[in-house]
Amino acid sequence: MFLTLKELRHEKLKFGALGLIIFLIVFLVLFITGLANGLANDSGSALKNTSAQTFILQKGSEKRLNRSQLTDADWNKVNHRNAAKLSVAQMTIQKSNKASKKTDIAYFVTDANSFLNPKTINGQKLKNNDNNSVVVSSKLKTDGYKIGDTFKDSTSKKVFKIAGFTDNTAYSHTPVIYLNFKQYQHIAPQNNNFNAIVLQSQLKQKTGYQVVDKQSLIGAIPGYSAEQGSLYLMIGFLYLISLFVLAVFFYIINLQKLSDFGTLKALGTSTPYLVRHVITEMGLLSLISILLSFAITYLIKLVLPASMPFSLSSGVLLGTGGLFILITLLSALLSLIKVIKIDPITAIGGNN
Amino acid sequence: MSVLELKSIIKNYPDGQLVNEVLKDISFTVEKGEFAAIVGPSGAGKSTLLTIMGALLTPSSGSVLLNGHDISHLSKKQQTELRLNEIGFIFQNSDLIPYLKISDQLKFIQKISKKETGNAEEVLTKLGLQNRLHSYPNVLSGGEKQRVAIARAFINQPDLILADEPTASLDSKRGREVVQIIQQTVHQEDKAAVMVTHDERVLDLVDSIWQIEDGRLKKVR
Ligand SMILES: Nc1ncnc2c1ncn2[C@@H]1O[C@H](COP(=O)(O)OP(=O)(O)OP(=O)(O)O)[C@@H](O)[C@H]1O
Ligand SMILES: [Mg+2]
Repeated sequence: MFLTLKELRHEKLKFGALGLIIFLIVFLVLFITGLANGLANDSGSALKNTSAQTFILQKGSEKRLNRSQLTDADWNKVNHRNAAKLSVAQMTIQKSNKASKKTDIAYFVTDANSFLNPKTINGQKLKNNDNNSVVVSSKLKTDGYKIGDTFKDSTSKKVFKIAGFTDNTAYSHTPVIYLNFKQYQHIAPQNNNFNAIVLQSQLKQKTGYQVVDKQSLIGAIPGYSAEQGSLYLMIGFLYLISLFVLAVFFYIINLQKLSDFGTLKALGTSTPYLVRHVITEMGLLSLISILLSFAITYLIKLVLPASMPFSLSSGVLLGTGGLFILITLLSALLSLIKVIKIDPITAIGGNN
Repeated sequence: MSVLELKSIIKNYPDGQLVNEVLKDISFTVEKGEFAAIVGPSGAGKSTLLTIMGALLTPSSGSVLLNGHDISHLSKKQQTELRLNEIGFIFQNSDLIPYLKISDQLKFIQKISKKETGNAEEVLTKLGLQNRLHSYPNVLSGGEKQRVAIARAFINQPDLILADEPTASLDSKRGREVVQIIQQTVHQEDKAAVMVTHDERVLDLVDSIWQIEDGRLKKVR
């Protein structure tokens, strides 16, 4: 620690620049991770946030809710405890008094007594015996909707009242509106079908149907895999790039100090002491940079507009930080080998 | 009693198919309070001999006795500990650590050796460096740097001081001053010291002179 602190203090510029690089990389990774998670939520949080585990779809619907059509006959045939019917319809609504202000939404139609009925953050829950009051995603607040407001379904012209808001649920980048089946009849009168039978338990297969778990159903939402795939590819490359960039920088910095390490060894400094010195130096530097990027990411998150989906849980934050500490230590490895190998004899004879 | 004694030291370096015998049957001894000099032409093996004395290099055969203990076959770890606690080095280019202030150069040695020895600032003041305690090495002159290196070699109260051409990077006046300081400190603190030098003009300051030529060492004075 003695050497480490003295050196960090004396070489402010050098280590400051290195710290800045680590900070920028970690910040970029956090930002893209947050964006990827935000987009993922925006794409499938209406499904992700439920306790649903398994979705039973019509055979051949390729894991897509909108391609699956099930009937009451199917419902009776599956006949599973703790099951719920689900219909999803992507439509457009508008403010009742202002036809020009339209919003794309997704209706989630379900039995209000089933586990799919969402908890509300304010207002009332969805009820089966109410023709008019619905629960909507809090994302609609950004469009100016409040509890008690009404909206009109653009196709059927049916008017609903907002009874409650549920937490930030979205499907395929549109806010979700929860209806019971009776309310859905007003929008699609001739349609008695639904899209899926949803289970809270695991199920591997069911003859005559396609059985999908929640994660693969979310993955099959149009656009989801493409977005996530390219973002995570970028994140992966960033980790790889940072590993190499940091390794090269550490190596160069420690190479410059190799003769000092030789002298220190000749004077009687043990190799473990020097190894600890290098590790503490790199570890401390990356820790400070990582904490700094945490702080900046947090500030950015505060000023980011709601229309830009961004989500970073503290778990992901700590995970990314831990991974980067690991990467810095890994990239210090090359330098450590050099430090371990340097022969103190180089200090004698003036040939260094 | 002799602080350091070399008995029939041989050092070979592999040289392609052949072996290059750099040191051939060398015997040497230095007493407490004695300042010895080793002179000889370039490539004669002076630095090699000094690294063997300083437990930086293991001889091919022969024994090195420091205070009566054979140190010629210690492990690397034991060698490092020995260098820290029993031997003080003064290098040609002083080799100060660039990011340590002058007083910290000495304090670092005290810290890692865990020996409660002397007062770093007092030692530096005695060598006329009282105004430089909180400077970094890059602002010091060559002579000042070498004085710091001397202070660093002595701070830990080792029994043996080894110096490899400590005056090589100094002009003759500064060089003589530096050797004078080593001489005085060796005598005051009753240490044994061995200095390799090319500079004939400082030889009047040492107590004994050894000449190495063609791998063989003989006492001249
Ligand atoms: N690691 C090594 N491997 C092989 N040969 C070596 C090695 N170190 C030194 N030698 C050889 O040993 C001989 C003595 O070298 P040494 O450095 O001890 O000479 P020196 O007397 O200190 O010379 P100078 O006055 O130029 O410093 C030289 O011929 C050198 O080439
Ligand atoms: Mg030499």
